[in-house]
Amino acid sequence: MLNTEICTCGSGLRSVRCCNADMAAAPDQGSLELINAKAAEAIGLFNEKKYREAEALALKILDLAPNQRMALRVLFEIRKAEGKQQAAEILARRLTELPAENNAVAAAAHLQLAQMLVAQGRHLDAATPARAAVKLTPRDANAHHVLGVVLTETGQIRAGEVHYRKAVNLLERDDGTVLANLAWNLKQQGRLNEAATTYEKALRLRPDNARGVGGFAQVEAGRQHVPQAIKLLDDALAKWSQDRTLRLLRALMDLRLGKFEDVINRLSGGLESLMPPELAARGQAAERLGNIEDAVAAFAMGRQMQRERYGQRYDPKEGVQKSELYRAFFTAERMQNLPRAPETDGPKPVFLLGFPGSGTSLLEQLLSKVSGFTAADQAGAMGELTKRIGNLVSDESQLGYPSLLENLALGDGASQLALLRDQYFVTLQSDGVINPDTKFVIDRAADNHWHLGLIKLLFPTAPIIHMLRHPLDVVLSNFAQDRKLEANCGVSMPALARHYDVTMSLIKHFRGQLTLRYLPLRYEALVADPAGALASIVKFISTEPLKLPSKIAIKANAFQPIARVPAHVVMQEPVHERSLYRHRLFEAQVPQLFSDIRPVLTPWIEALGYGDAQ
Amino acid sequence: MSSEAILSGEEPLKPGQQRVALSDVIAQISRLEQQNRLDDAGILADRVLAAVPEHPHVLHLSGIILYRQGKIAEAIARMEKSIALAPDVALYPRNMCEIYRGAGRLDDAVTSGRRAVELAPEDSRAYFNLALIHYERLELEESVRICDKALALEPDFAEAHFERAEALLLGGKMKDGWEAYEWRFKLKQAEGMLPKTDKPQWEGQKLAPGKLLLVADQGFGDCVQFGRFIPWAAQIAPAPVLACSGELTSILRQIPGIGRIVTRWELTGEFDAYIPLSGLPRLAGIDTDNIPMSEGYLHPKNELVAHWAEQLDRLVPAGKRRIALVWAGRPTHKNDKKRTLKLAQFAPLLARPDVAIVTVQKGEQIAQVGSYFGTTPLINLGPEINDFADTMAILKNVERLVTIDTSVAHIAGACGIPASLVLPYAPDWRWLLGRDDTPWYKSVRLFRQQQPYDWSGVIEKVANFLD
Repeated sequence: MLNTEICTCGSGLRSVRCCNADMAAAPDQGSLELINAKAAEAIGLFNEKKYREAEALALKILDLAPNQRMALRVLFEIRKAEGKQQAAEILARRLTELPAENNAVAAAAHLQLAQMLVAQGRHLDAATPARAAVKLTPRDANAHHVLGVVLTETGQIRAGEVHYRKAVNLLERDDGTVLANLAWNLKQQGRLNEAATTYEKALRLRPDNARGVGGFAQVEAGRQHVPQAIKLLDDALAKWSQDRTLRLLRALMDLRLGKFEDVINRLSGGLESLMPPELAARGQAAERLGNIEDAVAAFAMGRQMQRERYGQRYDPKEGVQKSELYRAFFTAERMQNLPRAPETDGPKPVFLLGFPGSGTSLLEQLLSKVSGFTAADQAGAMGELTKRIGNLVSDESQLGYPSLLENLALGDGASQLALLRDQYFVTLQSDGVINPDTKFVIDRAADNHWHLGLIKLLFPTAPIIHMLRHPLDVVLSNFAQDRKLEANCGVSMPALARHYDVTMSLIKHFRGQLTLRYLPLRYEALVADPAGALASIVKFISTEPLKLPSKIAIKANAFQPIARVPAHVVMQEPVHERSLYRHRLFEAQVPQLFSDIRPVLTPWIEALGYGDAQ
Repeated sequence: MSSEAILSGEEPLKPGQQRVALSDVIAQISRLEQQNRLDDAGILADRVLAAVPEHPHVLHLSGIILYRQGKIAEAIARMEKSIALAPDVALYPRNMCEIYRGAGRLDDAVTSGRRAVELAPEDSRAYFNLALIHYERLELEESVRICDKALALEPDFAEAHFERAEALLLGGKMKDGWEAYEWRFKLKQAEGMLPKTDKPQWEGQKLAPGKLLLVADQGFGDCVQFGRFIPWAAQIAPAPVLACSGELTSILRQIPGIGRIVTRWELTGEFDAYIPLSGLPRLAGIDTDNIPMSEGYLHPKNELVAHWAEQLDRLVPAGKRRIALVWAGRPTHKNDKKRTLKLAQFAPLLARPDVAIVTVQKGEQIAQVGSYFGTTPLINLGPEINDFADTMAILKNVERLVTIDTSVAHIAGACGIPASLVLPYAPDWRWLLGRDDTPWYKSVRLFRQQQPYDWSGVIEKVANFLD
């Protein structure tokens, strides 16, 4: 009996001709040729915009031969145009799996899938088809361009640059879109001067690129060319008055210049009409004007939107389970039996720990002013190593990280660790972090707290500076911003408090079980006496005396034209004390603001010695 | 279908339920308590109390369970209630005495102990419990007197002999103390410490080379402390064989005069007599004024000292005075509660801006380091320490050790390393009374509690001593 059940993926095909098809039983090449003419007819109908007829024919053909490429392509285009993402993705993936008559056809299928995923913001998923496209057609500029986008947006920024530049070379001409993307990549690397030059060229070629103008304005702001950034944005807004990204960037310039009323005017209207980044800017402006209730309303709406409009959820389970796994593995007894990588000459990493909003950016800015220190910003090389570690450490039992580290106790584990340690530097090198003058690399990757065990094995005596701040200020700082945080913990105050507890508990565990060269540093002490704090940190890190900038220069925290500028420098400003115990002002005006989270945070407030500062 | 016991006969039985005698349930609670199934015992006791809330014996049993679960205040409340309900039952004040001691309420403990003795003047255990309280209050003569009463009733009562020995030794009456101290191998917990042999215990007579077996008994600290008498024994019975646990070999090997060291009984070979190390001071006629080698007799290996010097140079910020710290002992030690502190209680030391703390703490208590966020550098070195040889080498690289009464204190003393030792009000006998030095180790300075179970002021003195 004919199975007429339609596939649940939404393709419109019968299930047995779609997701449950036995492709091995599909017609062979010879049989397919018999229906090629019909398939070409379907393409013709599609090109003539007779979509319903094209769809009907394609469905018929695919019911006979689910591996007919042309019909599959027609159906894919129609489903994509209809916005049926699941069906379109399944059809696109099926196209990549079909045998192709040549590499160009196969590459086109991969590229099509990659572009679709990029458009959905799924850059990680797009990596595999984008790579496949480049491998199949290494001289296709478009394939390199798409891979450049994928790599840049997944944090492999230096590799992304390589592919953008290949795309430019293969095109043998300057292309406004590729250059603008290259400029954004350079901006991400902190190579602001090169980014600016590239943006200028890109926008000359393609002046209608609003996104490019926004990127250029951010580069100019990063270079402390605020008037130029403002002019770029004002000119662009005259052209694209409805462009919300440009409007927000312009508002951020006002925020930076202290024109708080202007920020609120630019981002006016009901809170529901604004997006989370706009709400964050508006809330911060309101706060600076002393309208704490308005600020809280804006921040709260931003978090609510993240949850309700964008479906972001914080589920502590995953973090708690991972933490339990790490705690069970990284014990003093087990670690004592594992080897350590030997020390080497050359740059030494300095690891910064700190929940977002604790002041690691400020500390990195200040340390960067000391000669020999280079900011790796959030390069995240340790996290990369945990992904690659299975290739370097034998994992026959498929234990996975961190359990596979147990294998280091067998054979020459120290050499394997030495290889891993070198890999850390290779990653930083390829990200352009290390230069010939680098003595210390400041690694403030947001996930460093997970990697303290591996850090101990690779860099047994590396300095670890833990930025601490009043927990309520930490939570408030994140509540007031729109940033992507681990496990989506930024979606509400209780989620932030819970994740703070998970993070601090993990650090507490590592500190109890490992011999670490650990120094806690309080944000409050850093802003009260930046020069004194910096001197003590540098003394802690370096056995040799290092020349520090003057007290005035440290306090001013002025931008320095350096080769590689961390992202946070865009908002760099003099060291200030206005955020000290910021939560008090909020609590005074919105008394119940922290009631929900106090039970979770009070033990930390006490443990960190902030109990007296209530 | 499982049966569920109920205690009151008032309610009609439900299917699957049956009536049981109260005495059976009480016996079951006791059994669970003795099997260390405290949660089960507590749940059953609470169920019984719901039915018979004024039952003195169930209240009493429940109090013991709560005490063992660390719920001291609730335990005392229930046991006091049981005494109020049955003021003439001697068992209740006898146990209450011990509970009050655990809670640090020594005045109440004495009252209870005396009441127990009054109610049961033939109960040697009641006297023993009271003697313990007098020791804790440093009423040593009274402690000895009460022990004598217990022993008059039960001459082979090993615990009472041992308690008497400790009171005598702590009071500096060494000769009588050593004699009573010989009862320690009759204690339950001493089983297996001595070899199973028909050979006699050595009494100090001359023996042929290799025919004396020395047994490194008791804890690690005792072995280090009494190891100093091995050269004395070897003069009379040359090249004695030393039986000890593996972790002690590298340390005790340094002491001159030892023939062979073995770590298993079957390797001892033929011997004519044996003696535990802790039995040597009695034979050597040791008093507080003739203790040998108090300046030190152990030495870490040079290469190990150099290794740790390099490690500490990397880990400890330059320009800070290095102070080693041990704040907790082995939790299974009978007096651990009395001697152990929390890391946070060392706040006055941790507040000194001129020091860096190098913790040589081992065991589960190292986890407390994770909760320290002070500005004084604290290096949690315990996780890197393999054995006592490492500890000795590390201590050579610090200015001073600050420690509770644990084996590391003996290591420091035996190496001649300056140490500040904090002691409870009623310390272990070896630290004697009324002095801030010790005849056992010249480099060790004692800091004593001024009130039982009260560390206030002690750590301040330790910290100020660094000035």
